[in-house]
Amino acid sequence: MSVVSFSSVSKQYKGDGPLAVDALDLTIEDGEFMVLVGPSGCGKSTALRMIAGLEEITGGELRIGERVVNDVPPGDRDIAMVFQNYALYPHMTVRANIGFALEVAKVPKAEIKSRTEDAAEMLGLTEYLDRLPKALSGGQRQRVAMGRAIVRSPQVFLMDEPLSNLDAKLRVQMRSEIIHIQKRLGTTMVYVTHDQIEAMTMGHRVAVMRKGLLQQVAAPQDLYHRPANLFVAAFIGSPAMNLVTAAVGGSAERPTVTFAEHTLAIDHGAIERYPKLPDRIGSTVILGLRPEHFVMEGDADLPDDQKLTLNVDLAEAMGAEVHIHAHLDVPPVELDGAPVAAEEGEEELSTSTTNIIARVEGIHTVREDEDVRLAVKTHLAHFFDPATGDPLR
Amino acid sequence: MSETNSVDATIDSSDGVSRRITRPDGDLGASLKLLSLWHLFGAATCVIGILLARRGGAAELPWMPRFALQGFFSFAFVAHMASAYGVSARTRWARPASLAVNYLVTLVGAAATLHLFNAYRAIGDLGEGLYKAFVPFLVICVGLIWVLVAGQLLANRPTAVGPNNLRKAGWGLAALAGVWFVIKADPSGLISSFGDSITRSLTMGALALTICSALATRLMWSRAAAQHFGTKASTEQALSGLAFLSPNLIGFLVFFAFPLLFSLWVSFFDWDTTNTHRDFIGLGNYVKALSLDFSSAPQANAGTEALKPGYQVLMNMDWFGQHWLIGARDIEFWLSLRNITVFLVLAVPLAVLPALLLSSVLTSRLPGMKIFRTIYFIPSVAGVIGVAIVWGQMFDATIGWINYLLDLVGLSEAGAGQGWLTERSTALLAMVIVFAWMSFGFNTVLYLAGHQGIPKELYEAAEIDGANPWQIFRKITVPQLRNTTFYVVITTSILALQLFDIVWILARPAPGGPNNATRTPVLTLYQEAFTNNRQGYASALAWVLFIIIFGFTSFQFRRQRDVATSGGLS
Amino acid sequence: MSVRRKGPRATAVRVLTYTILVAVAAIVVFPFVVAVATSTKNSQDIFNYPPTLIPREAQTVPAADVGLEGDSIPLYAFADTDAEFALVDNNVSVAEFRPLDDLERVIRLDVSSGERTGETVTIDGEEEDVFLIEVDGAQLEVYRSRLTSGGLFVDVADPSDARVDLVNLVEPLEQFGPRLENFREVVVEKDLGRSLTNTILVTIIVVAGQIITSIFGGYAFARIDFKGRDRLFLLYLGSVMVPFVVLIIPLFQLMLQFGWLDNLAALIIPFTFTAYGTFLMRQFFVAIPKEIEEAALLDNASRSTILWKIMVPLARPAIATLSTFGFLYAWNSFFWPLVIINSGNPDGRVLSLTLSTLGGRGSADLNLVFAGAVIAMTPPILVFLFAQRYFVENSASSGLK
Repeated sequence: MSVVSFSSVSKQYKGDGPLAVDALDLTIEDGEFMVLVGPSGCGKSTALRMIAGLEEITGGELRIGERVVNDVPPGDRDIAMVFQNYALYPHMTVRANIGFALEVAKVPKAEIKSRTEDAAEMLGLTEYLDRLPKALSGGQRQRVAMGRAIVRSPQVFLMDEPLSNLDAKLRVQMRSEIIHIQKRLGTTMVYVTHDQIEAMTMGHRVAVMRKGLLQQVAAPQDLYHRPANLFVAAFIGSPAMNLVTAAVGGSAERPTVTFAEHTLAIDHGAIERYPKLPDRIGSTVILGLRPEHFVMEGDADLPDDQKLTLNVDLAEAMGAEVHIHAHLDVPPVELDGAPVAAEEGEEELSTSTTNIIARVEGIHTVREDEDVRLAVKTHLAHFFDPATGDPLR
Repeated sequence: MSETNSVDATIDSSDGVSRRITRPDGDLGASLKLLSLWHLFGAATCVIGILLARRGGAAELPWMPRFALQGFFSFAFVAHMASAYGVSARTRWARPASLAVNYLVTLVGAAATLHLFNAYRAIGDLGEGLYKAFVPFLVICVGLIWVLVAGQLLANRPTAVGPNNLRKAGWGLAALAGVWFVIKADPSGLISSFGDSITRSLTMGALALTICSALATRLMWSRAAAQHFGTKASTEQALSGLAFLSPNLIGFLVFFAFPLLFSLWVSFFDWDTTNTHRDFIGLGNYVKALSLDFSSAPQANAGTEALKPGYQVLMNMDWFGQHWLIGARDIEFWLSLRNITVFLVLAVPLAVLPALLLSSVLTSRLPGMKIFRTIYFIPSVAGVIGVAIVWGQMFDATIGWINYLLDLVGLSEAGAGQGWLTERSTALLAMVIVFAWMSFGFNTVLYLAGHQGIPKELYEAAEIDGANPWQIFRKITVPQLRNTTFYVVITTSILALQLFDIVWILARPAPGGPNNATRTPVLTLYQEAFTNNRQGYASALAWVLFIIIFGFTSFQFRRQRDVATSGGLS
Repeated sequence: MSVRRKGPRATAVRVLTYTILVAVAAIVVFPFVVAVATSTKNSQDIFNYPPTLIPREAQTVPAADVGLEGDSIPLYAFADTDAEFALVDNNVSVAEFRPLDDLERVIRLDVSSGERTGETVTIDGEEEDVFLIEVDGAQLEVYRSRLTSGGLFVDVADPSDARVDLVNLVEPLEQFGPRLENFREVVVEKDLGRSLTNTILVTIIVVAGQIITSIFGGYAFARIDFKGRDRLFLLYLGSVMVPFVVLIIPLFQLMLQFGWLDNLAALIIPFTFTAYGTFLMRQFFVAIPKEIEEAALLDNASRSTILWKIMVPLARPAIATLSTFGFLYAWNSFFWPLVIINSGNPDGRVLSLTLSTLGGRGSADLNLVFAGAVIAMTPPILVFLFAQRYFVENSASSGLK
């Protein structure tokens, strides 16, 4: 009943402007927790607001359940939404805020009261029911916004970055509460965030978007381990995947990749996952190594041709692990003319060097300006076509 | 037609899940058939309406409503016919068209029905009722204020029982006083005249038309109808936008846009107040108003004889050893232009400079500044008539305070009896003083707002540099407030150019006097239009004045628009 | 300008600051004080010179105190004594005597006093009898220059001391005496009461109408997007720049055609629409976060539910501002009523109009006129004082930001 499906849905704000959402095809199953993630301006919020009916759909068809809802007003779609700034009615008490939708629907007063109080209890708001929003903390306001959505028992929950105004600790707590509530109610959930940790921890499936285009829809683990393109590979994971343009050499059984002054042999396990890699011998690919693919030389039993020596720029001891920052004297990998990582708005990146982050066991002591010898689990490496960004599968 | 609501939505809350189901409903189909018929009937009514407006009721109706009604009925006829077709053919545009015609007919019908019920005249009776029942009215006010105060208490503690009961008591008091009011006001005359009008067939017809159109509007407005005709979300949005705007927009069109254009049109006619006389004379009015004659006169103080016939002496000058004479055809208008120029030159600095100085003092963080600000503002809200009456007495020659105070400080001889308002040389000056007194407080507040835009660091830097207060004022405050000054000067000038009320009261019993010394353009316009009954000519004067004022406003409009559109207008 | 906080110079600046501010405040307040003072004076007091701020009335004693019947009797004072004299009769025959040795001096006595000596003198070519009168115990030779009528004054404390003199030459005793009766009189006898209720009615309906149309219009302009909306809004904005005098003739014609001349409807209905108010409300609505409205849309609230249950409660400050502006405008308006209510029928008049027709300068009813002016000025000043928080801020921000 409450499947949400986009078929070729597009959104163009001005008659001739760029497409904010470009022919989106996505089906969100009944009861599924779907996270839409991507950098700002990727169209995820627009897609969500199209489900809500707050944005007009300029092309394609959107269905909720069996019904095409392109021209159905928001109130008739039977959905509830939690906004980033909560959008509580400032002049109403918590009780009135939660009960407003029921009041509008002319539900009997006694029922409004009991349903409001049930929702408040579920969220631990009972003692605040008669307060105004301005007398609540950020976390409590967030709960009220949730309560307002829950009380209606809608077909679909929509959440637009609901946790981004909370402090880190509260965010973690609310994250699990939202998961819990969704599991308990079994309602279809569409959740928009720019925070990939939220995306990975909360979603049954995650849809990654970029510049209006859907990049990949997959379960979090698939997304991490089998990125559908260079963008997803770069976007998912924190710290991000290390990407470098490398020349492929060696034999089809044991190819090698060479970047900067380093050469690494590729384990056969990688070729099983990226069967087209041997075709590229003699040309270049984009090599992707996640930080955890590096280990300190002694920590793993890996052949010597899978090791390299890096000069440490910075070592961040995190307790359980150490993040080693180093750099290669080659230009960073670009995607559509900009360094891949730049889109996330991270630190200003150099255009002549590529940063590398390795994540090693926390027992090691690493000092800046020291050389470290690292072994690389090349069987886990990723390979992409430098021209298209597609994986070499 | 109200049964169509059943298709709107059904809420099934038994399983805690509300669902909206829309099904093609037989009721809606039947209603829409009825609606097509209604449109045909409406078109027929329009034909009758046109005929009535042309012939039957023509004698009763003044020309303007007659034309307006004919035009409206013609439009409604076309729209009704189109809607009748559109609704039965289920075209997408049928809904907007049907809504437009039904809604407009509802509004016009309601206005006409109210007219036929004498409701507008009854407002006067209401005034009388209020007079008779003034005490109950005051009690109602007390009750409502009580409710408001209790509401304020309630705002902080929404569930408090005490304020809630207080509020209920307030409502109770107001309701009781309301009953008392009705008894005292004695609405029996109103009720009987209402009874009389409802028996007239024309009234009945208008009422029926209004009600039917309203019902049809409601039917078409429903979501079911929107779905039936496949109205797009953007169209739906535009419809509700126009619906919300309509009360305002209609007022804007009827009481602003139409009069503005009508005024321009009238200005091309020789047109009297009672509409018995109306001749198109093109730019004649403007030519008459603006005509000047320059001539060199044979001797100083030459009179009218040196000018073209029909001209009167406006100014007599000696330039380059030659006597010059300026004559105007409408001497009163030109005199009023001269007066207002003098007035502007004197009054604007007097209303702006004190404001600039005082606002600079008022921004200091000394205690009591808010009180002074409030005091200075009072003259601009007190009402010009009361203020002018008081000042008229102050300026009195024999028993006025101004002469007495001047006498006290030795600025005039005791009992000299300076006739401020009766002497040509001082009458306009007196009005300048009153105008400046009334407007400087408002300007001070405008300047205070301007002060908030000056960065505090500038003052701190200047103080560190050892500047004294006067230097700070000269070198920082004044230049930083340049934009504010510009705005204040322009708005004050626009006000000054429309000077009327002060002159009307202070120069009683002969406004404009003594001897045209305080005649202003608006006064001339008023007298032309409503004393001499020359509405066409007065309209031309109004447009001349408008263009002069527009010269000032256009400076400022761009700024104003930028401010206004800053709120997210693309 | 910030004033330094310490030192003798700062104190001097401070003193100067307050001196200027108080002086200006005095100039502002003085006419209002004059208005209140004059409105409580009686009809003699208004013509006194020099003018005073304290209303005065004649001192009186009950008639019984001086052995008479009837109303109370005014008191007078003579220059040579502190005693209070009651004017017991103001129509007695008075003889004016002039001493022969000082023809400039005038002594007024009862006509029966003085004895003819039988002699005559010639004054200005006329022969006059010589009288002998007693003044301060001395005999004086006088002639009788004139017979006239004057008042008989009796010392209240010592009834034996009676004097005659011309009433207008004796200084009447006065005391503080506000005449509040003026207000009742002007309301009842000068028809100001009806004008007052008319003004109240007009103001209430105009303000209510302006609030309603501005809320609807402002909401549509702020939040419901449709084609041509922004262009229309610019037109609204431009309309604020058109002076009212341009509209007055066509509006008069319109009212004539509607049959509303001389009717309160003409003072109300054209003014229930305000471009300025629409603008004000729009600016306020635009500032309310859009998400609040979207949340309500998702809650299936209709546009009007959103407007009345959510936007309007939030817009209370703007509505307060708009009401204040509307009140002041409607209450104080004069030009339009002057044009429309023109038949001399007092039932249609509003306060400002009635006030302007009550006697002009130097009128005998000046105290009543001032009482009317005080009645007219008090409500707007009170409203301003209560609502100034909104009013002052918005007058300032309407054009500048």
